[in-house]
Amino acid sequence: MKDPYEVLGVARTASPEDVQKAYRRLAKKLHPDLNPGNRESEERFKEVSGANDLLSDPDKRKRFDNGEIDASGTERQQQRYYKDYAAEAAAGHPYENRSGYADFVDTDDIFAELLRRQEQQARRAPGPDLHYRLSIEFLDAVNGAAKRLTLPDGGTLDVTIPPGIQEGQILRLRGKGAPSKGEGNAGDALVELSIVPHRFFSRQGDDIHIELPVTLAEAALGGRIKVPTPTGPVLLTVPKGSNTGSTLRLKGKGVPRRGGHGDEFVKLKVMLPTEPNPELEAFLSNWTPGADYDPRRDMQL
Amino acid sequence: MIITKLEFLDRAQIDRDTLEVWIQEEWLVPSGSATEPVFSEADLARADLIRDLIHDLGVNAEGVGPILSLLDQLHGLRRVLAEVLQSMRQRSVPPEAGRSMGRDPERS
Repeated sequence: MKDPYEVLGVARTASPEDVQKAYRRLAKKLHPDLNPGNRESEERFKEVSGANDLLSDPDKRKRFDNGEIDASGTERQQQRYYKDYAAEAAAGHPYENRSGYADFVDTDDIFAELLRRQEQQARRAPGPDLHYRLSIEFLDAVNGAAKRLTLPDGGTLDVTIPPGIQEGQILRLRGKGAPSKGEGNAGDALVELSIVPHRFFSRQGDDIHIELPVTLAEAALGGRIKVPTPTGPVLLTVPKGSNTGSTLRLKGKGVPRRGGHGDEFVKLKVMLPTEPNPELEAFLSNWTPGADYDPRRDMQL
Repeated sequence: MIITKLEFLDRAQIDRDTLEVWIQEEWLVPSGSATEPVFSEADLARADLIRDLIHDLGVNAEGVGPILSLLDQLHGLRRVLAEVLQSMRQRSVPPEAGRSMGRDPERS
């Protein structure tokens, strides 16, 4: 690792202002975005910015001067520069400007011919993609739905949401983006979906989970009760002697997926009557459940 | 991936007013609407560049626009040059012509 003072070309006694001045002078020359395509300057800029990070921080500089830290690890993390995006972006990049060669095109040689062809290609380049966000109801995400998105410019966009969609998924609507600047096809509309949580359904992968309140009698005696599923209520048989936390599975009532559906898991929750109930109290005070009934046995109280 | 305004402010380390000015000056051109702009990773890298220009290189507000405009033209030209070079390469060795030229002398 090179000495940071040497890299910036300043004396060890240089003032913070001198350090800044030296850094600016070098950065103006070496900043990778001002030298697209020049690897050497990118490498040197890494050193220079690293040296500046060290020397422009009074605390770090002091510790370096005292030999407590060395100059290693000061190279800046691999930063992505704008030039990398400008180079990789598809044609029709919003910032790109090709007017800089217009005057070459009017001649009659092979280069002008090539340039004309490039220009034509650029004209035929598709328009840019437009990004939207759409928040949808939980059940629409599970079952699929057709939605109409109102655009900021007053237009509308019909979005078909396929069943089983997940949070953050992006739908691409071909040709619904911005028109081409030339004669190309329109870009695509990209719609990022977010899902509003449901009041009682939750989702883990392709399975639906629900906590279902049941009465004391339904739990103790069992019975058939109505349970909501994403596609409507179904009857569920609660076995005799069920308890809070007992989980029952409704096969195939989960989220649609390739080749079938996930399951719905119903977790029971025994609820006593909300109002005090004299009959239940009278029954319980006369009721002896037996010595085995000690739900806190494991706690060794 | 889509970057929202809030996310963008956080990752670009700039405040709301600064962003407003940058968009007004057309240094940044987000997609989406004026009320709900959305940004790309390229916009973010461009914001980093603008910040570097102002803070690290000491460019003043008047200088940023012309620099960006020249850079945009430079990138446009770099791409055109790359495309022209590529089609010249394709032209100079057309596959069929190359083959027949290789064969003919042997046959004759």
